[in-house]
Amino acid sequence: MLIIPLVAVFVAPLLKPREASHLTALAFLLPFFSILYCIFGGCPREILLMRFSPPIGDIYLNLDFIAHAFGLTICLVSAMVALFALPYMEHRFEEMELDKNVEFRRYIFIYNLYAASMLWLVYSGNLALLYVFMELMLISAFLLIYKYGYGNRRWVGLLYLVWCAIAGVLTLAGFVIMAFNNNTLALNAIMAGGKGVGMVAWAFIFGGMIIELPVVGPHIWLPWAHAEAPTPVSALLSPLTVGLAGYVLLRIALIDYSFIEAYRMPILGYAIFSSLYGGFSVFKQTDFKRLLAYSTVSQMGYMLVALTLGPFGLLGVVIQYMSHAFGKSILFSSAGGIIAVHHGLRDINKMGGLHDSIPAISNAAVVGFLNLGGILTVGMLGEFFILRGVVDTFGIKTSSLGVILGVVFMFILSVWYGFYTLRKVFYGKPKSTERLEISRYLYVPLYVIGIISVLLLFPPLSTVLIHGLDMIPGLGLGVGGVVP
Amino acid sequence: MNEWLVFLLLFLSPVVSSIPIALLYKSKEWTARLPYLSVFGIFISVLMSLYIFFTFPSELPDCRFVSPYTWIPGTGIDIVLITDYLSRSMGVITALIAFFIAIYGLDYMRGDYRPSWYWFFFNLFTASMLLVVYSDNLFLLFVGWEGLGAASWGLIGHWFRDDDEIAYVGVPGRKVGPLEFCWPPSFGGWRAISTIRFGDVPMFFAIAAIWAFAGGNLNISEIAWGALFTKLGAAGTVILMLMLLMGLFTKSAQVPFSEWLMTAMTGPTTVSALLHSATMVAAGAYVFIKLTWYIQPWNMHNIPGVESVYVIVLFVGLVSGLYGALAATGMLERKVLLAASTMSSLGLMFGSAAASYWLPKEVPGTGMNLALLVAFWYLAVHAFAKASLFLVSGHLIHATHTRFSVGNLEFGKKMKATFAVTLIATTFLVGMPPFTAYWVKSGMDEVMEHLLHEGMLLPLILLLATSLTYSAILARFTSLNFIKGEKPKHEHLEGGNLMRVGYLLMASILFILWYLIFKNKETVGFVHAGYASTSILVGIAILVAYVGALYKPRISSLSAIGTFFNDRMYLPYLNDYIIPKIGFFVAHLVHGYGNRGIDGFFNTKVMPGLFGLISRGIRCIQSGYLAHYIKVVLGVVMMILILAAIGGVYLYP
Repeated sequence: MLIIPLVAVFVAPLLKPREASHLTALAFLLPFFSILYCIFGGCPREILLMRFSPPIGDIYLNLDFIAHAFGLTICLVSAMVALFALPYMEHRFEEMELDKNVEFRRYIFIYNLYAASMLWLVYSGNLALLYVFMELMLISAFLLIYKYGYGNRRWVGLLYLVWCAIAGVLTLAGFVIMAFNNNTLALNAIMAGGKGVGMVAWAFIFGGMIIELPVVGPHIWLPWAHAEAPTPVSALLSPLTVGLAGYVLLRIALIDYSFIEAYRMPILGYAIFSSLYGGFSVFKQTDFKRLLAYSTVSQMGYMLVALTLGPFGLLGVVIQYMSHAFGKSILFSSAGGIIAVHHGLRDINKMGGLHDSIPAISNAAVVGFLNLGGILTVGMLGEFFILRGVVDTFGIKTSSLGVILGVVFMFILSVWYGFYTLRKVFYGKPKSTERLEISRYLYVPLYVIGIISVLLLFPPLSTVLIHGLDMIPGLGLGVGGVVP
Repeated sequence: MNEWLVFLLLFLSPVVSSIPIALLYKSKEWTARLPYLSVFGIFISVLMSLYIFFTFPSELPDCRFVSPYTWIPGTGIDIVLITDYLSRSMGVITALIAFFIAIYGLDYMRGDYRPSWYWFFFNLFTASMLLVVYSDNLFLLFVGWEGLGAASWGLIGHWFRDDDEIAYVGVPGRKVGPLEFCWPPSFGGWRAISTIRFGDVPMFFAIAAIWAFAGGNLNISEIAWGALFTKLGAAGTVILMLMLLMGLFTKSAQVPFSEWLMTAMTGPTTVSALLHSATMVAAGAYVFIKLTWYIQPWNMHNIPGVESVYVIVLFVGLVSGLYGALAATGMLERKVLLAASTMSSLGLMFGSAAASYWLPKEVPGTGMNLALLVAFWYLAVHAFAKASLFLVSGHLIHATHTRFSVGNLEFGKKMKATFAVTLIATTFLVGMPPFTAYWVKSGMDEVMEHLLHEGMLLPLILLLATSLTYSAILARFTSLNFIKGEKPKHEHLEGGNLMRVGYLLMASILFILWYLIFKNKETVGFVHAGYASTSILVGIAILVAYVGALYKPRISSLSAIGTFFNDRMYLPYLNDYIIPKIGFFVAHLVHGYGNRGIDGFFNTKVMPGLFGLISRGIRCIQSGYLAHYIKVVLGVVMMILILAAIGGVYLYP
């Protein structure tokens, strides 16, 4: 089933825009359902693709619950954003005065490549394969920004490429060291070998991935890239791509947690600072997409915080990724909806009272912010596990109060900026009370994501998914496990 | 009937029945008809809650229902419901009040510009509240709890256009210092969710901590609380319980988190009645009563830390009680006055529930703690009485087109049913003998008198001061709206029959409660306390305060202090001035220096400059002059020689 998106990469450009979008959506929905089937019914743990000599080792697909959780998210968001993109990109091509049909072919090719490489990344059981897809993902995202972005898109594209190339090289260095230490890059063989990762390799990978994640400091490419990318790309870039850095860190942490344990306090402090920095930055933004970009910095801080908090924290990483992906894809798409309907409107100061003209998009944005805040959506479980991680790691003492309050305030801040933004953008005195007729593609996909994000909190989806994750050694309650 | 079917119908029928109207927001014709379906959904919940009340077991362990379907296996996150004394009664109260208000709402919200939003959130709220009431599992409870917060936000900001002054709180344009004391609905919504979230996350943390320390158990009735507190030690217990209480205090608008409740009055009146008086804000007090019910702190005098927690709750509650009552004395806006009195009542609930720590004696024959019973019964009486008063003020706002208290005796005579309900609800609530609340309040007096044995006089004083002020403010409300107020400028008296039905039904329950106090065996303590001479004295004092305020609702010589109270003793400064100033200062630092620095300096100056510098360095080597190259080579040779010399000295000394 994972082959389908790869096939779609080459088939979709042959079709007309509408059919191509539908095909893309279908190409990601089929794996979505097959993953669901896997979650409920079970399927083989590993599929061997090729055998390489050391130090690369077996190339195989890793079909565990972590990969399923990430894969589920990527499939759903990619499929829905592909549908949303249809009217949006047509609008964008008109704006750029390009030929719609010709350009759409190019666009959908890169889009599919981009999304499919992310999907394959999470199922890669070999770090070499993972790296290949990571680079493929970066380059295709770069091309999309470079070709169809806003403003000074070429500069922004290059900024993005350069920073992510640095991240990529650092990570590669880490992988290479691992390869020589363990004589393989296959995850299962590294686990079985028991040699671990080693501090140097960890440091390289960590350094690379916090650029990609990103945390404050190396985050400087992100507001530009998210703000100036065409919205469907932002809607994959922010929810899916950046969080995959968290995925890589999670995989490495599951092999060897010693680096995190050794440097827990500095990393945790940095992550909380980063999250609060991003959160406070949101209040001052005037560009809606840039605002959402800073919110991504804040949310990625959650992931790094979670990474340091032991088994329950690691479980929190997975859930937090899903919740942020759902929320942020809805929000970027609603920002895109406003751009498409209100002719390029991005300045928040000119918004206010938009609910009257586009109620469907406005209500979708509410669901998006509920996801970010972890209210009544799958994010609730994420927050719960992260908080449990805090308790397990630090206990309840007066000396741990600083960490507790830091994490708690971090969660509070998301809801504060979320609803503050909602009020500024959608509520208040409307400029006109006329309801605009808008394409269904602009909002129905968002509700599909929203509904899934709520359903994932409740049985039966959460039952099987969380239970499956829980069974993985080192995650949640775990059984046995590497993480002490 | 299968008990899980009952529960499913109870929780899901309100939500499912409101989905059609949420989806059909475009069709005017359907949105006029579909509210009846939503109300019907709530009616099913009423039936189910009554069915549970009369047929389900009430004693542990039979009253705990563990779902055969586990939510997340092996983690303790499960669907566990409970139908003990508190839950079964509170369930009926919630469902009934929601149903009466929904009937009223059919009239009140007719012709509104956002019916689908309103009914969806109204019903979502009802379901969430029922979930909070019946769940025994803390995680499940918290799911409902978050539903309350979200629905509250949606309903307060219902009139998001901010275009009608009648939905504001405060007087537009009136400045107190640098702040304009006037809040539109969209702001009220934001303030509500931001305050509530400020408490919810700590509460969520506390739940996670309980989960960790109670061995993966999250069921309130099963956790070994004594062992948990002992394990945590004094500091741990206080931190844990304070975190938990943050959620309860913010939800119940206790000092200093009370401001959101005042601006929540920007929502439709039905919302104020259901959420912000009877149920949602009472959820904080309810959960506290429920936890205390199973914690049984009166058996924990030897565990360090527990007493501090209960002292804190006792005083936060009683101080909020007095604060709310005093603030209300200066208020003229009908709903805000009632909101302030609501927070006052909630404070009394917290206070008397907390007093249970010092009250080991049980009500004979039932094994229940008198202080908790008093708190819970006061919650019940307050819910019906205050909801009636809110519904009355909603009708008055429709009839007079103003949210400020107006209405003279002539107007009162035209609105006979409304006037009568107001009189009943106020007299039954303030604790005037021999009406419903008198017996409950007598119980409360007895509880606080008991604290005298512990050397605490202050609680009793606070309670008495609150009770008298409280009586005066509700009398003032009655007087200013029906007897001694100004003559209304507009009178719109037609229609509103469903509204009348709503509040008549609501007030009629007060009589049933009155009857139940004498009939039920667990409330004999109230009746007993009611015949005590001190209680009768207090009752007479309350009566005097009531009659006095009815006769003279406004004292002009005290108008300065009245304005101070009306401005909620300047508490809005905390919410609207101090905290935003700090927040925006940080945001300014972060954005003005951090982000600008990165974008303007690092991204556009340092990085390109650095690359330029390196590039120039490399290019200037390749100049093409032979002499230049020779110099470079010689330089490098020299460097190597020097390094070799130094190395030689260090390596082979």
